[in-house]
Amino acid sequence: MPEGSTEAESGTQRRTPQWGMAIDLDRCTGCEACVVACSSENNVPTAGEDQSAKGRAMHWIRIDRYYEGDFPNIRVRHRPVLCQQCDEAPCEPVCPVNATYQNAEGLNVQVYNRCIGTRYCAINCPYTVRFLNWYPPEWAEPLGLQLNPDVSVRPAGVVEKCTFCVQRIKRAKLNAAAEGREVGDGEVQPACVQSCPAEAMVFGDLSDPTSRVAHLANSRRAQRLLEELGTKPRVFYLERAD
Amino acid sequence: MLLLLLAAAGALMAADQPLSFSHAAHIEKARMQCTDCHSGAKTRDNAGIPSIRRCMACHQFIATDRPEIGRLAAYWEKQREVPWLRVYGFSKDAAVQFRHAPHARAEIECARCHGDVASMTVAVPAVVHTMGTCVQCHRDNSASDDCVACHF
Repeated sequence: MPEGSTEAESGTQRRTPQWGMAIDLDRCTGCEACVVACSSENNVPTAGEDQSAKGRAMHWIRIDRYYEGDFPNIRVRHRPVLCQQCDEAPCEPVCPVNATYQNAEGLNVQVYNRCIGTRYCAINCPYTVRFLNWYPPEWAEPLGLQLNPDVSVRPAGVVEKCTFCVQRIKRAKLNAAAEGREVGDGEVQPACVQSCPAEAMVFGDLSDPTSRVAHLANSRRAQRLLEELGTKPRVFYLERAD
Repeated sequence: MLLLLLAAAGALMAADQPLSFSHAAHIEKARMQCTDCHSGAKTRDNAGIPSIRRCMACHQFIATDRPEIGRLAAYWEKQREVPWLRVYGFSKDAAVQFRHAPHARAEIECARCHGDVASMTVAVPAVVHTMGTCVQCHRDNSASDDCVACHF
């Protein structure tokens, strides 16, 4: 078997992809299909009414709403916010047990086994996209019957967050390795990207100048959230043209 | 039922299997391959525990006079699967996502992780699957030792 495919399986392809995402805010309708798809793909537990009221609802991706103008001349803007997979992530250096780090492909990884639940990362994240499992995960029946076997269920006391659907990245790499080729552009689709009916979200390799996401990230409309903090996020928002 | 794991890691306990199946008889005497029964081992995530259909494909005709095969046939006639106990597997707490296919493609021998099953009667967890076992082998074979290679 060719050597290249062994490398690809081990996660060190000849060209290490640099994963990133572009979200076209002109297309986003705020329908929250991404939120549902994400929770379902990634076994994100339901917090329940009481816990949600305490601000403990868990959503790896959320839709921020911004209202402009006064009623009735009001305009709503939507912005899907997920882990920005920062290159200079504020969550990483504060973890006392190295449970979160940036890997070679630019993913801001959360290692559940290492996490001891200090929540320093969640507090230090300017995008508030990290969540502690306050209680053992629960799902209202029959949601518990549809857990994704490709994703671990996180126990209580562990912080979790968006992984860019790393299980799908792995799957695409394995499929590519089995066929002795490299992962193609658009082959990896996180659940949010796949479910977006407006096709507002694009995922791919930022280091490949021919990829769709790199093209969009270089657009004049592309901005990053709270860029002034110097976090160097890997999620690019294409601001509305108006 | 298949998900019942042998709890104590490292304890060389033979699972109390519903039938006294001998791996040695099938591999050493009958010259079968691991993948003849664990068909997913080279191509899929899970190697898989064979369905009774696979057992009966041979044992409708082979060794039908043996008492254990008679018990196997009894499951078959009742249209039941044999409730085999799983010998290897990671606990849910480990948050490990293991895939067989890439390991088979990297030409890792079955015995590297499963021991010399060929000479066992009842399969026992002869190789202890700790993180050290995995990481050492990954490093020896220059495979990824990124945490997220397995934990996600």
